[in-house]
Amino acid sequence: MELLSRKQGSRGRLFVLAVVCGLCLGSVRCFGPSQDSEFTFMLPAGRSECFFQTTIKNGSMEVEFQVIAGAGMDVDFTIISPGGVQLIADARRSDGVHLVEPTEQGDYQICFDNSFSRFSEKMVFFEIIIEGQAGDVAGEDDLADVEDSDGNLLEYKLDDIRESMDSLHRRLERSWQMQMVLRAFEARDRNLLEDNLWKVSFWSCASMLVMLCVAFTQVYTVRKLFDDKRRVCT
Amino acid sequence: MGFRGIGFLLHCYLVLAAAMYFDLGEQEEKCIIEEIPEDTLVTGYFLLEPWDLAVTSHSPHFGVTVTIRDPNHEVLMTKRFGKFGKFTFSGHDSGQHYLCFQTNSTRFSVFSGERLKLHLDVQMGEHSIDPSHKIAKDDMETLQNSLMHLIDQMMYIARQQEYQREKEEVFRQIGEDANGKVLWWAVVQTSILLFVGFWQMKRLKDFFIAKKLV
Repeated sequence: MELLSRKQGSRGRLFVLAVVCGLCLGSVRCFGPSQDSEFTFMLPAGRSECFFQTTIKNGSMEVEFQVIAGAGMDVDFTIISPGGVQLIADARRSDGVHLVEPTEQGDYQICFDNSFSRFSEKMVFFEIIIEGQAGDVAGEDDLADVEDSDGNLLEYKLDDIRESMDSLHRRLERSWQMQMVLRAFEARDRNLLEDNLWKVSFWSCASMLVMLCVAFTQVYTVRKLFDDKRRVCT
Repeated sequence: MGFRGIGFLLHCYLVLAAAMYFDLGEQEEKCIIEEIPEDTLVTGYFLLEPWDLAVTSHSPHFGVTVTIRDPNHEVLMTKRFGKFGKFTFSGHDSGQHYLCFQTNSTRFSVFSGERLKLHLDVQMGEHSIDPSHKIAKDDMETLQNSLMHLIDQMMYIARQQEYQREKEEVFRQIGEDANGKVLWWAVVQTSILLFVGFWQMKRLKDFFIAKKLV
């Protein structure tokens, strides 16, 4: 009798485990392909480039951009909603962060415009962070239904594992985003410094040549003056 | 196989359709710049669609040519794909890699270039989450895959940090070079000025003495 009940109990436990695992993985699977994108691209002079991002209703979208290289280091930035309304327009900014919340269902258009510049092309880095309605974890409601059966230690352990993995994933995503931003800052500073170095060398050389030319010209002119006078005297 | 294939396509489509896209004209090439440390495996998934989904005209065979260049502008990989696909590469140098996409179609008549949408998702690391991953035959396996993905993410972040540190050193070196150069040029210019001043005075003095004006 005891053996039978134990076997049945274990089968029940196994079933619960399978269900919980399934739910675990259901929710784990949806930190699948991340919807956060970041791109660096070259924007040629006099052109405009647009990128599109699909969003769900009532989510939030954060867009951050930085101009990493290019003379002037600024660009026009606009965000146009799926309905065609221009939400944000930044004229000639070198970096910016914008949060669009709540988002409509559809494709947001994110445009960078370099038409005011005729010769200099710009390297632009931008990042889009999308968040769903209440965090990215689906299946949280389903799990609540399972919990009121059996109050098993195993379930709680699995629940803990699932929660730690989710929080770990969220924090890693955040670190990754911060790293991206820092990298963009560093790239921008490095490009600026390399430009400066080249300018310093070039103008120093030019200045030295001008000085030497002026020196010889001065001596020659003064001598020339006296030569003429000499001729006039005699 | 047919059913599975369709399932794969649908899944790919659904997942990539939520990714970011940009427009690509016909025969137009657009490039994305990615800063990648050495020996990192990069996986890219892309999907090509006509701009107006309602107007599926002539259904020509569209394709994408993916060209990847390394920081020295040498071609690392160039490959032609159909409407969607997956490409991977691993760079030997660390630095800015250029991922270029160009459409090509088998149509011979090019009239009023059609706009196309290119959905793109680029991931780093060996255990990227595949949009086509099969719904697990083994639950533990999927859990294991997710854990491997997390581990990969952490390793990627750590490697990026190392790479950042190296670049920071290079940056500091450039800064010190610039400082040194500025100082050196200033010294050289001042000494040239002084030398030229003395030389001019001497020459003119000799000249005037020779001409018996002084």
